[in-house]
Amino acid sequence: MAIRRDDFPLPDVDDPLTAPYFSGAARGELMITRCDACDRFVWYPDERCAQCGGELTWTPVSGDATLFSWAVVRRAFLPAFAERVPFVTALVAIDEDPAVRIPTYLVDAEPESLRADEPVRVTFRPLSFPTVPDKSVIVPMFERTR
Amino acid sequence: MPDWGHASDFDDVRGQFAIAGIGETAYTKASGRTAREIGIEAAERAIADAGLEPTDIDGLTWSGAFPDFDVAAFREHFGTTHDMWTSPWGGGMAWAATAPYLAARAIRDGKATHVLNVFPVAWATQRSSMTGGPGEVHATQSLKQNLEVPFGWFPQPVYFATIMRRHMLEFGTTEEQFGAVAVSCRRHANLHPGAVMHDKKMSLDDYRAAVMLADPLRLFDSCLISDGGAAYVTTTTERARDLPQPPAVVLGVSEGFSDTGGHWAQQRAFTSTPQVFSAPRAFTMAGLTPSDVDVLTVYDPFTVVSLMQIEDMGFCPKGEVGAFVEGDTLHHDAGKLPFNTHGGLLSHAYVLGIAHVVECVKQLRGTAPAQVPNCEVAVYGGYTGHMASTLVLAQDR
Repeated sequence: MAIRRDDFPLPDVDDPLTAPYFSGAARGELMITRCDACDRFVWYPDERCAQCGGELTWTPVSGDATLFSWAVVRRAFLPAFAERVPFVTALVAIDEDPAVRIPTYLVDAEPESLRADEPVRVTFRPLSFPTVPDKSVIVPMFERTR
Repeated sequence: MPDWGHASDFDDVRGQFAIAGIGETAYTKASGRTAREIGIEAAERAIADAGLEPTDIDGLTWSGAFPDFDVAAFREHFGTTHDMWTSPWGGGMAWAATAPYLAARAIRDGKATHVLNVFPVAWATQRSSMTGGPGEVHATQSLKQNLEVPFGWFPQPVYFATIMRRHMLEFGTTEEQFGAVAVSCRRHANLHPGAVMHDKKMSLDDYRAAVMLADPLRLFDSCLISDGGAAYVTTTTERARDLPQPPAVVLGVSEGFSDTGGHWAQQRAFTSTPQVFSAPRAFTMAGLTPSDVDVLTVYDPFTVVSLMQIEDMGFCPKGEVGAFVEGDTLHHDAGKLPFNTHGGLLSHAYVLGIAHVVECVKQLRGTAPAQVPNCEVAVYGGYTGHMASTLVLAQDR
């Protein structure tokens, strides 16, 4: 069952289920799936809306969010993270619908000063790992707004 | 009732079925054994404990998620050819609680008489070849692989560190309160000769000094990685009375689900478990309340999962579990709620809940190493993310 993709743990930008998330990031847009029929944001992306069965469309959102929760990762659980620890990985809740939580990095964050539900804003940054030479992917990360 | 989940409608099986035999292997660090070998040994011992022969076992529940021990393995090892009713919706985790219900249905429908449930695991042995250890099964899922892993939100210790943080933010739960759970479990493991951590003492200071894996989650908030397995035999209470061991009677059983998906990041009730939906059903079937429970075991991969289930099952009001678990509340001898009296996944062994059910049966028989005095009612709370389950067992009366 081991992961066979050579560029793991970079995201697979060709995976049809999530590709628009990364193509959006590359052009500076935070994209979230929304149901055409009931208008709800549906996250994570899925084949259909779990509530009403409607079709989902990738939709740009503002990139404004709040800090729902976070962890300061100190142990590298994968070799790719060995040089990155310690880092702050977070769940941020988008302003358009706080039920939509995005796993992301908080950049330049002093862990001790973080506050629950404080405002954060998207920033699009290249993600790379020393275990995946010569490759990077632009991804949505978040930064504090105060 | 909150609107983020639901419970299954289980038939009332109160009092009619019982666990008549239990079997355990050694619980160890890397043993070099395969899960199949471990499963066979657990099965042999459970069948013997029940006073039965392999040919008496005409039903088998096992784990479709971890298919190491199934009917083919049973037949090959025991050399049997008789028909067997079977279901892959048994084994460990949440299904360690509901396997007796599957057995009850099969027995009631005349498809089986004695149903064996088996769960083995050999992750300690397999660990070095897994991507992110037990996180591997998650890393292979496309959504997690693309939306979580690249962002360092992986594996399980990170999910639960994030849940733990939110529990602290919402309810004021403190590190010492999480520590109280870990220390109580270790105390029980120290009394249990079969526990992996039997010889290792741990104080609250030791807990605080432990390495931080993903702040606020420390090493000792986290379960072990172990080899081992267990099995048990379910039959009718009437039949169980003819067998050598005192029956552990199934009074209530239930399962509940979150409707907000299988991903931890997207659980609407982020600091709750589906015990909110499951536990009331099992207690209703049993005709009991949480205050009737003499010993509670819950699936405890991380301390926060114990705290959430204790409050979601109704042992204290939501949000107040931190204060509830302080001091000796969870101790087997003096506590208000004797809890994971074998040491749990944290300090006994990480065999995914099957040993929790075995511990409940031992407590009811009066043969547990950390025996709770006059234990008449023992409950197991199972958990696997968007699912929780509840099994209420009692002495035969």
